[in-house]
Amino acid sequence: MALPFTYHWRNLFVRKTTTLLTVLVIAAVVGTLAWVLGFGAALAGSLAVAGDEQTIIVIRRGANSEGASAVPVADFNKLNQLADLARDPASDQPLLSPEMLVQVSLPRLRDRGRTSANVAVRGVTDAAFRVHRTVRLSGRTFSTGASEVIVGVRAAQQFAGLQIGDTLNLGFSDNRVYKVVGFFTAAGGPLESEIWGDLPTLLSAYNRTMYSAASLRIRDGADAASVIKEIEGPAIDLSAQTEKGYWSGQTSQVRIYLAIVAALVLVMAVAAAFSIANTMFAHVAGRMREIAMLRTIGFGGRQILLGFLLEAVLLALLGGLVGCLACALWLEAIGHTKDMYGSGTFTTLAFDIRLTPAIVGLALAAVALVGAVGALVPAWRAARVQVIAALREG
Amino acid sequence: MPLQLVYLGRNLTRNPLRTLLTAAAVALPITIVVLSSAVIDGISLYLDNSGKQLRLVVINRASIVALLPEGYRTKLEVLDAHRPVYVCGQRWLGGQLPNDPRPLSTLAADVDTFPAVFPDYLLRPGELEAWQTDRQALIVGRGTATQFGWQVGDRITINPSVPPYVPLQFHIVSTAPDAVDTYTLFCRRDYIAEELKRNHYMEDRVSLFFVKCRSASDLEYYRTGIDRSFANATDETMTQDEKTFINQFITQQFDLPRNLTILCAITVLVATLAAANTMSMNFRDRLGEYATLKSIGFGHGAVLATVQAESLAVCAAGGLCGALVPYIAFTYTRLREYHVPLIQQLQVRPVVCLLAVGVALAIGLLAGAWPAWLAARLKPVDAFRALE
Repeated sequence: MALPFTYHWRNLFVRKTTTLLTVLVIAAVVGTLAWVLGFGAALAGSLAVAGDEQTIIVIRRGANSEGASAVPVADFNKLNQLADLARDPASDQPLLSPEMLVQVSLPRLRDRGRTSANVAVRGVTDAAFRVHRTVRLSGRTFSTGASEVIVGVRAAQQFAGLQIGDTLNLGFSDNRVYKVVGFFTAAGGPLESEIWGDLPTLLSAYNRTMYSAASLRIRDGADAASVIKEIEGPAIDLSAQTEKGYWSGQTSQVRIYLAIVAALVLVMAVAAAFSIANTMFAHVAGRMREIAMLRTIGFGGRQILLGFLLEAVLLALLGGLVGCLACALWLEAIGHTKDMYGSGTFTTLAFDIRLTPAIVGLALAAVALVGAVGALVPAWRAARVQVIAALREG
Repeated sequence: MPLQLVYLGRNLTRNPLRTLLTAAAVALPITIVVLSSAVIDGISLYLDNSGKQLRLVVINRASIVALLPEGYRTKLEVLDAHRPVYVCGQRWLGGQLPNDPRPLSTLAADVDTFPAVFPDYLLRPGELEAWQTDRQALIVGRGTATQFGWQVGDRITINPSVPPYVPLQFHIVSTAPDAVDTYTLFCRRDYIAEELKRNHYMEDRVSLFFVKCRSASDLEYYRTGIDRSFANATDETMTQDEKTFINQFITQQFDLPRNLTILCAITVLVATLAAANTMSMNFRDRLGEYATLKSIGFGHGAVLATVQAESLAVCAAGGLCGALVPYIAFTYTRLREYHVPLIQQLQVRPVVCLLAVGVALAIGLLAGAWPAWLAARLKPVDAFRALE
């Protein structure tokens, strides 16, 4: 028979100061862990949307991002010869989108315009809406030939001057006035951080004769790797990546930083495990006589061991809950939104950090494990109490 | 005095496991503090050097990737004859090796003014001559040179990540042994301009201008003056001092300094709480003892000192271990060559370690404060009664 749950629960509150301090230690570690997990999940979530293996981004050989690339129209036209290029069932048009990428510096709303960031401006044609399938318009789109743009919802949330009816200066020397006429979503993907406008007018506004890049969809069942090989081959001689590969490349540096922080949090978790071990040793040492008593009335060593492990896990979970709550409050206070540069794009990628049930679950599971590991030796010691000696001593 | 030390030693060894676990729970956070501070320290050293160089960075107001006409250089040079400046136009190339994905940070610089604007380069004999006479000259930051195993005299090919997009041949003429920046590569802009022209790209535009000023007051004067004089021009400028300019890149990507500082604060909190936990457990276990001390005549101060000394000793031991391990690891082992983005090599300076030990002592002081105060205020009679 196992020891009753209430026995362990009440025991946590016998030594209030110790319990409180241990809970706070754990809370600090879990709060940080939850933030790191939230950041990682937000990044991965944004990239997962872009992780379409059927969409291929084509750029100039040697360029490391769409913004740094220039694709001459003649080279772009060669992409039409790809056998595996998907076609729109309705119009039989190839799903091939010429695109131009420039950036505009806009003030952040988060700090009331004290700092600004580069927001991507993408010149597109109708084809872009068929190739980037996640893009959904809310409101109307820009008219062909007009100085109008539509704005990704995340960009609109984060930067000033991107509401419908607002105007912004674009062009080679910032001298063309564009009007915001609509919003679009892209299922939370990186395109939501962009501004889209009509390709021909933007090309002329920026004095360009070349596209920046091309996006295309391949037929269902076609092999992306072989299409990429064909694009990079001598006949076309451009550089290609799946959308997934492109975006994970752009965030590689941030993921290194995140890994550094995660490693440091791991070290913190080890320190927390030591602290739990300390607390549990004290619990065991203070209750030698009680444990001996439990043994005499018939509880086995195994139950005592499991009992103390359970106590530690309870303690850890308590700390975990406090930590998650603190992290949630912190995010509430400083805001969920975060933006950062891609490593080669010079444009910003915005995303939301949220504590989803999965993240909270993962953080709590991790901390329960830390609690159990920390309590292992003390619990083992408790299970091996010499009954007679302990009873005599007390 | 020695008696008190003996008492301290006995106190520490009374529950060796507890002492050890507490020291470890302090040591690990201190290791984090040392490593994070070393990263922050590296970044701020780099930034401070930029700040000291009296250089301004002039870019296109529209965005950092928009280019400026190279003719602006002459206009900048004659803006104020009483405040002479050196101006070096540079064009971003970025680039990679043909079969290596690691990004390079290559800039093509005006050959004539580069030595004046970047005086910590090309100081060794022969380097300046090589830079001036060899069209394909390339200066490689020594960190990058170590990373790729390059030496002066090597010939390398770089594929630029922007126009002209064609493979470019270079000769390494210097690995910048005296420069603080160990990362960036510099080549000659006249060479790149030729290739740009051959491939029909705008060769007469630059990514940015570095303006080297003579004094801090000149720097301040030009910081606002340049933008004013180019207001309403076709290409308006944005002028920032070099430190602000570089700091933008750091904060835009992940803001490592800020995030690491927050992390440090949390870890110190964890260590403090863990140590405080131990001290409060010790206090509880030794309630009778402290009461005895008080009843046989030891004063508040003596009891307070006993508790504080123990707390300080444990935390100091933890702090020393926590600071020494990363110091040794990053000074004497292969980890020294480990490549960290942005700062290249992680240098754990002794001053950072000392600071961390100081933090550990502060943790000890804080952790012992409450139990020490309780012990000092202990009324023997109440304590003995409570123990009954």
